[in-house]
Amino acid sequence: METWLALASGGGTSRPRTPDHRVLDRVFRQRLAQWLTGIACASTLLITGCSRPAASPPVVEIEHAILPQPTRVGPATVTLKLVDGAGKTITGAHIAIEADMSHPGMSPLFAEAQESEPGRYQAHIEFQMAGDWVILLHITLPGGKKLERQIDVRGVQPGVRSN
Amino acid sequence: MNPSSIPALETPDSLPFDLMRVPGLGHLFRWRYARPLLQAPLLILSIIMILHGLFGPSLAPKNLATTLSWLHFRGVLVLVLLCAGNFFCLACPFMLVRQLARRIFRPRFTWPRVLRNKWLSVGLFVLILFAYELFDLWSSPWWTAWLIVAYFLSALVVDGFFKHASFCKFVCPIGQFNFVASTLSPFEVKVREQDVCTRCHTKDCIRGRREPVSDLVTIRGCELALFQPSKVGNMDCTFCLDCVHACPHDNIGILSRLPASELMVDPIRSGIGYFSRRKDLAALAIVFTFGALLNAFGMVSPVYAVETWLGRMLHVNHEAPVLGLIFTFFLILEPVLLIGLAAWLTRAWAHSARALLPLAVRYTYGLVPLGFGMWLAHYCFHFLTGLYTLIPVTQNAIASLGRPFLGEPRWTLTGLPANVVQVVEIGFLVLGFAGSLVVTYSLAEDDSPDRPLRAFIPWAAVALVLWCASVWLMFQPMEMRATMMSG
Repeated sequence: METWLALASGGGTSRPRTPDHRVLDRVFRQRLAQWLTGIACASTLLITGCSRPAASPPVVEIEHAILPQPTRVGPATVTLKLVDGAGKTITGAHIAIEADMSHPGMSPLFAEAQESEPGRYQAHIEFQMAGDWVILLHITLPGGKKLERQIDVRGVQPGVRSN
Repeated sequence: MNPSSIPALETPDSLPFDLMRVPGLGHLFRWRYARPLLQAPLLILSIIMILHGLFGPSLAPKNLATTLSWLHFRGVLVLVLLCAGNFFCLACPFMLVRQLARRIFRPRFTWPRVLRNKWLSVGLFVLILFAYELFDLWSSPWWTAWLIVAYFLSALVVDGFFKHASFCKFVCPIGQFNFVASTLSPFEVKVREQDVCTRCHTKDCIRGRREPVSDLVTIRGCELALFQPSKVGNMDCTFCLDCVHACPHDNIGILSRLPASELMVDPIRSGIGYFSRRKDLAALAIVFTFGALLNAFGMVSPVYAVETWLGRMLHVNHEAPVLGLIFTFFLILEPVLLIGLAAWLTRAWAHSARALLPLAVRYTYGLVPLGFGMWLAHYCFHFLTGLYTLIPVTQNAIASLGRPFLGEPRWTLTGLPANVVQVVEIGFLVLGFAGSLVVTYSLAEDDSPDRPLRAFIPWAAVALVLWCASVWLMFQPMEMRATMMSG
């Protein structure tokens, strides 16, 4: 280690500089220092100020149920009920379902929900792995308005083996 | 001596294969700006990952920060270490930023003597493994982005104050991982002919080159205190190629060698000393090896049963203390028991002259191949099964900018089938096990020439136990939760 301290070279690579170079160098350093200060301020703002935008008040309420419970690896039925602000069920909506795992690298699942009775929609998916899942609902209302909702499905358990 | 008086070298057929002699590649590596050229793309990629992590989709499978960090970077890293060497450290983007910053802030201090070892980096390595499990970093693009930012800031702060490559040598947990894994790499930055170094008086490879009048450094020598003529192996070598550029005799190459050969010998090593006397390095090897199993254990179903049971026993609902206990068991109790017992048996059966602790330290390095096999199996599973996911995630990122010129995301693209990847995983585990057996037998032969088998058997038994545990882990159903204690 002492050999290193004695023999290893200095902190950075540098070249001999003429007076002109030194002036330029000073200007460059000042500019860079200003930039770094700016970056530091921006980082502070990011740390303190960055957050996900708050969700706008829902105009559509979505009730959901996933069966069977507890959720396990294997087939599952997602039931959704769409209600508007006045409490009336919403019929004729189109709901595309996408289910993702919390870990990157896993293939998402896709399904279309069918309206089983007025305002009530059902989709069949198959959880392929135990763990945390996120179900994304891509909803198109009868008027063409589009909504996105997220349902967290935590702790899908390993499947039960049948003989 | 005038450097030019030393004749240019010819490569005889008997010499190892030298990457520096490969046309094109050799020219690139000899070029002074080769490192920044390789670092710049990774820096750009890092910036993209940070921005996408902070402002992109919050779902990990749809974000470049999580997909690139936890799937592709880790997979490519271990494969490059296995097939070539520590080329990630060569292209490290953190060092490019550090180098630019050093044009303004010149470090004034030398790294504190008390910290000139691996203890701090071992602690940080454990801390990262712990944070990975506790905060489920794989599932959070936001935290992944901040982890990358924290890495850049740490490198800047440490190397802004302290001279040389203090961050790389004494702090960086990724660097320590790479140093240990690269002991198994097939290439090493090494002198081609010792005679040339013997005749060399300038020692530029460690001193660097300086302007004669101003004495300013124009080309750095090794910042990690590795003096090429007495450097052995890849430990602490970042493949930065400073020594290659500084050597006036073009006597340093990237030479092929037998992987793990440096673990079978125990000479004094420049910048390191004796492996067998470095308890901090042995601790790093332990965290590397046992941490590989622990990291995989955190992703399979039984871990939740263990956590729930521990939580009930201790009457705690928080994950941190339970996880702390699991870490204590895997990284302290289990290694102390297994390695301590093996060292005691070696002393008793083979009548080794060494004391218990030095013996344990010496043989601990023999477990490194097994640990690397597990890291390979684990990281390559994620990398290969999610190989193509980078395509839809990139398509999605570009589409979100309003110009989907790569088309709509094809989310059905994933990777290789799991059953195919499982064969690859088993291959890595077998390779690691075989490597550990070869290294420990070689150490046993060296240590107890009369009774090598007696010295070897306890360590082979430890390797077998760990290998069986690795295989068991690989066949467990994966369960990736972001909340362990959810019950």
